[in-house]
Amino acid sequence: MLSPELLALLLLAVPLTSALLIAFFFRRAGTIAQVLSVGAAGAIALIAGHLIFRMGDAAVSVPWLTLGDFSLSLGFLINPLSKVMLGVVAFVGFLIHVFALGYMKGDTSIARFFGCMSFFMFSMLGIVLADNLAMLFIFWELVGVSSYLLIGYYLERPSAVAASNKAFITNRVGDFGFLIGIAWAWMQFKTLNLTEISAQIAADPSLALTGIALLLFCGAVGKSGQMPLHVWLPDAMEGPTPVSALIHAATMVAAGIYLLCRIHFMMTADALNVVLIVGVTTALYAGVCAVTQKDIKKILAYSTVSQLGYMVAAFALGTMYAAKHPEHAGHAALTVGAAAAMFHLTTHAFFKALLFLGAGSIIHGCHHEQNIFKMGGIAKKMPVTFVTFTAGYVALIGFPWVSGFWSKDTILYLAGQVSPVAEKFLLAGALLTAFYMTRLWVTVFWDRPKSDHSDHAHESPMVMLVPLLVLAVLAIVGGANLVYQPPLDALVNSLPHPDAATHHRLLVTSAVIVALGFVGGRLLYGWGAANDRLETSIRPLHALLVGVQRCFDVAYNWYVANVQQRVAELLGFLEHLLISGLVVRGSAAVAGVLGIAAKSLQTGNIHGYVYWFLGGLLAFWFLAFGF
Amino acid sequence: MDYQSLANANTWSAIAPEIALGLLALGLLVLEIVLPRAHHRLIPRAALVGQLALLAGLLFTISRDAGFHGASFGGLLVHSGIGDAFRVFFLLTSTLVTWMGIGALERQTLPRVEFFHIVLVVTGAMMLLVQSHHFVMLFVALETVTVGFYILVSYFRSSTSLEAGLKYLILGALSSAMLTFGIVLLYGVAGNKALPGASANALGFDALHTFLTLNAGNTVAIIGMILVLCGVAFKVGAVPFQIWIPDVYQGASTPITAFLAVGSKAAGFGVLLNLVTQVFPVGDSVLRHGLVFVAGATILFGNLAALTQRNTKRLMGLSGVSHAGYLLLGVTAATYPAAKWASGAVVFYLFVYMAASMAVFGVLSHLAKTDDAGLETDEFVDLGKRSPLLGGVLAVGLGSLAGIPPLAGFIGKVLLFIAAFQAGLYGLLGVAIAGVILSIYYYFGWIKMALFEFTRVVPREPGALELEIRAMPLGGRVTLAVLGLATLVLGFFQGPVSQWLNFG
Repeated sequence: MLSPELLALLLLAVPLTSALLIAFFFRRAGTIAQVLSVGAAGAIALIAGHLIFRMGDAAVSVPWLTLGDFSLSLGFLINPLSKVMLGVVAFVGFLIHVFALGYMKGDTSIARFFGCMSFFMFSMLGIVLADNLAMLFIFWELVGVSSYLLIGYYLERPSAVAASNKAFITNRVGDFGFLIGIAWAWMQFKTLNLTEISAQIAADPSLALTGIALLLFCGAVGKSGQMPLHVWLPDAMEGPTPVSALIHAATMVAAGIYLLCRIHFMMTADALNVVLIVGVTTALYAGVCAVTQKDIKKILAYSTVSQLGYMVAAFALGTMYAAKHPEHAGHAALTVGAAAAMFHLTTHAFFKALLFLGAGSIIHGCHHEQNIFKMGGIAKKMPVTFVTFTAGYVALIGFPWVSGFWSKDTILYLAGQVSPVAEKFLLAGALLTAFYMTRLWVTVFWDRPKSDHSDHAHESPMVMLVPLLVLAVLAIVGGANLVYQPPLDALVNSLPHPDAATHHRLLVTSAVIVALGFVGGRLLYGWGAANDRLETSIRPLHALLVGVQRCFDVAYNWYVANVQQRVAELLGFLEHLLISGLVVRGSAAVAGVLGIAAKSLQTGNIHGYVYWFLGGLLAFWFLAFGF
Repeated sequence: MDYQSLANANTWSAIAPEIALGLLALGLLVLEIVLPRAHHRLIPRAALVGQLALLAGLLFTISRDAGFHGASFGGLLVHSGIGDAFRVFFLLTSTLVTWMGIGALERQTLPRVEFFHIVLVVTGAMMLLVQSHHFVMLFVALETVTVGFYILVSYFRSSTSLEAGLKYLILGALSSAMLTFGIVLLYGVAGNKALPGASANALGFDALHTFLTLNAGNTVAIIGMILVLCGVAFKVGAVPFQIWIPDVYQGASTPITAFLAVGSKAAGFGVLLNLVTQVFPVGDSVLRHGLVFVAGATILFGNLAALTQRNTKRLMGLSGVSHAGYLLLGVTAATYPAAKWASGAVVFYLFVYMAASMAVFGVLSHLAKTDDAGLETDEFVDLGKRSPLLGGVLAVGLGSLAGIPPLAGFIGKVLLFIAAFQAGLYGLLGVAIAGVILSIYYYFGWIKMALFEFTRVVPREPGALELEIRAMPLGGRVTLAVLGLATLVLGFFQGPVSQWLNFG
C-alpha cells in the first residue's frame, strides 16, 4: 500500500500545503499558521521516520517536460545517503519549529514567518529527494528564495534587507556555475538522472570531467559558504535565530555537502584536490574570523563556515582515501567520502542547531542583546540554557568521546592518511575552534552581568527548553553507534577504523588541542571580561585579524562600486537611449499619433461615413483592375 | 425543377431549431396577450428558459450525432457540422443577450416583450444565414437580421440611441445595396448562356462555384464577388466598412451592443467562411490580395483607434474591429489548402471571443447608468475592491481578449496564428502580432484602473462621484462566474471543444 515514492510525495505535499494555506488564507491568523506549520513539521518527522526505517530504497522518475530530445523529469532517489539527510532535516527541523513557537511569540507577522518556514521545508526536502540535477537545481533555487525571505524577515531593519540581498546575490554567483555545470553534464551524458550518470561513469570512468565536477562544486561553494563566497553567511544572521539554526547552520548550508556526496561519482582526482584546498582553507580562515567577533550569532556563523569547510575537506579526503585503499572502499551503500562528510554534517546539525537555539534562548532572555561582552553571569540566570549550551560547546570543540570528537577525528584520521599538510591546517582550525568557543563560553556564562539586559535575564519557557534538551543529549551521544540504527548504520560502518595506536595518538592529539585552546581562552579572558581583551592588550594582532576577516567584503565592495557599477551605468545609459528611448518610447509615440489620427476619423457625420463606403469600393476597384 | 419535386425536398425537421425559436418568439407575444399585466415580468424569463431548453436539446442532438446533415429545401440550405456549431453559438449568444436585456430593461420604462421577441427572430435568422446555400436564402436571412437590428439599436429611444439607429439604417441599407448589386451581377453573368458553366440556377452556391471556377478572369464576376464581399465586410466591421461601429455601439443599449459585437459579427464570419471556402474560387486571385489587405488594415485600425479611447463601449467596438481582423486572418488562411482546418480555428476563436466579450459586456450592462451611453474607463476605479466578482470577471474577460496566457483568448489567437503560419502569411502574421502588443496597452489600462489601486497617480477627492454598484441577483452572479470560468478552463483544456470544431 504505502510505497516509498508515495511517502516521498507526501513529504513534499505536506509542507507545501501548509505554506500555501498560510499564504492564501491565514496571513493574519498567527495562531492557525503556527499550528499548521508546526503540525506539518511534525508530520514530516513521522513520515520521514517511516520512510527511513520501514521502507527500502527506491528510484522513480516521471517525465515532466519534453522538448525534442531534451527532457526534464521529476523523480525521487531514495538511498542510504538521502535517508541520512532526510533524517537530519526532518528531525532537527521539527525541533526548531517547536523552539520557534516560543521564540517568535508576540511577533507581529508570525504567520509570514511560519509560512516561509513551511516553504523552506518543502524546498529542502525537494533537494534531498531529487533524483536528477535539474529538479535538484529547481529546489536548490527555492531554498535560496526561502532563505532570502527569512533573512529579510525583519523588513523594517535596513541591515536585514541588505543581508538578504547579499545572500541572494552571492548565491547567484555560485548557482551560475552550477547551472553551466548542469548544462555541460547534459551535453556530456545526455541525461541528468543521477543513477544513469553514475552507471555511465561506472562503465567508462573517462567520462567524468574535472570541468563539470568543479562547476557543480560552484553551487556547493555558494550554498555552503565556502571561500570565496562565504561572505553572505555571517550577514545572514540578521534573520530570526530559529532561521539561523535551521537554515544557516543545520540544513540548507549543508545542502552543498549533500550535493557533493550525491554526485561523488562525477569527481576526478584534480577536482578533488581543488575541493580539498577550498575546504581546508575555509575551515582555517573562518576560524580566524570568529576570533574577533563580538556578536554571539556571528561567532557561531563563522564557526559554521569553518565546520562546513571541515565537511568539504572530509568529502575530498574520504574519496581520496577510498581511491588509495580499495580494500576500504566503504560500505556498499555509502562511499568513505560521503560517509565522513555526512557523519560530520549530522553531528554538526545536532550541536550547531543546539548552539544556535541556545544563543536564541540567551538572546530571548537578554531582551535581544547579542553582544557577548554585554552579557555575563548567564549561567546562574538561565541554568538549563547553560547546561545545554555547554553540551553543544564541548561537542563543537571536539572534547573526547562527545559527538563532535568522533566525526572530527575521523576527518583528521583521513587527513593523516592522505594529506599531512591538510591535517596540520585542520588541527590548527580545531585549536582556533576551542579558543574562540572558550572565549564565548566564559564571557557569556561566567562572571557578573555586564549590562541591565543580562542582569534581568530570565530562563526561557519550556517550549524552547525541550528542543534544547533533546538536542543536548544528541550532541553528547550523537557520535555513538547505537544512535544509527539500520539503515542509517551505513554512516558509521562505511568509515575506516584506525588501528589502536593511531587511535590513541589521535585521542591524545585532540585532547591536547582542546586543552590548548581552552587554556588560551581562559588565559586571555579569565572568567569573563567586559571588553575584548585581545583588542585591548594585543592591539596589532587584533587589527590584523579584523583586516583578514574584512578583506573579502572590502574587495567585493570595491569591485561592485568601481567595476560592476560602471559597467551597469554604461549599460543603463545605452538602455535608456536605445531600448527605452528609441524602441519603446519611439514606437509608443508613433502608435499614439496614429491612434489620435484614427480616432479623429470618427467624425460622427453620416455623410462622411457614406464616403468611407464609397471610397472603400473604389479602393477595391483599383486593387482589382489597377488605375 | 417542378414545384412537386421542390416540395418533396423540404426537410422541415432539418430546421427544427430555427422553427422552435420562431415559435418561442411568437409564444412570447401570445403570452403578453394572455397573461395579466402583473405577470408580464415572467415573459422574459420564459424566453430565457425556452432558449436554455432549446440549447440543451440542440447539444443533446449534436452529442448523439443525430442532426440532419446535407442539403434541404431544394438546396436553399445545407446543414453541416460547422452549421451546428454556429447554431449553438447563436443560441448561447441570444441567451446571454436575453439575460442582459432583462437587467437593462428593468431600469427603463419601455415595452419589454418585443425586445425579446426580436432577439429571438434575429437569432433564428442568423442560424439560417450561416447555413444558407443559395443567394436568395442568404439575402432574405440577412435582411431579416439587419431589419431586426435596426429596431433593436434604436429600441431605447434616447437621442443617442435614435441617432445610432439612423446611422445603422442608412449605412446598413447602403451595404445591402452593394450586396444586392453584387448578387445581381453574379446572377446576370452566370446566366449568360454564352459562357462555359452557365446555369439557370445561378444563385445556388454549387452552380455558381462551378461557373466562377471556369470563368476565373471574368470582370463582371469579379466586380460581383467584390461587391458581395463588401456587403459582408460591413457586417463583420472590416476596414473600410468599420466606420459605423463606434457610434452605433455607443448609442445602442449594452445588451444590443453585445449582440452586435458577438452575434452579428459571427453571422458575418459564418457567411464569409462559406463564401470564400465554397463559392468564390479565391485561389491566387485578386480576392485573396483583398482579404490579406483588409485583414491587416482592420487589425491595425482597430487597435490604433482603440489606443486613445476612454469610453468603454467605443473601446469594445474598436477592439472588436481588431478581433474581426484576427478572424479575417483565419478566414484568409482557410482559403489555402495547407491550412484548411483554419475554419475550425475561426469558430473556436468566435466561441472564445463570445465568452470573453459577454463577460465584459455583462459587467458593463450591470454597471450601466440609466442613459446607457457607456462608462468611461476612469469610472472603474476600485471596482475590484468594491465588487471582487465584477472586477475579477472583467479582468479575466479583458485578459482573454488581450490574449494573455493561460486564458482562452491566448489559445484562440495561437491557433489562428499557426494557421496563418502554415498558409505562409508571414507579413500579415507580423501585423497581427504588432496588433496584439498594441491591444495589451488599452486592455491593461482598463484592468489596471479597475483592479490596481497603487497605479493611481492622483488621489481621488473624497466628494467625487462614485460609480453606483447595484446588488446583482444570484443568477447573474452565477452567469458571470461561469463565463469567467469558461474562459479560464478553455485556456487550459480544449480537448473536447477542439475535437468538435475540427471541420478540416
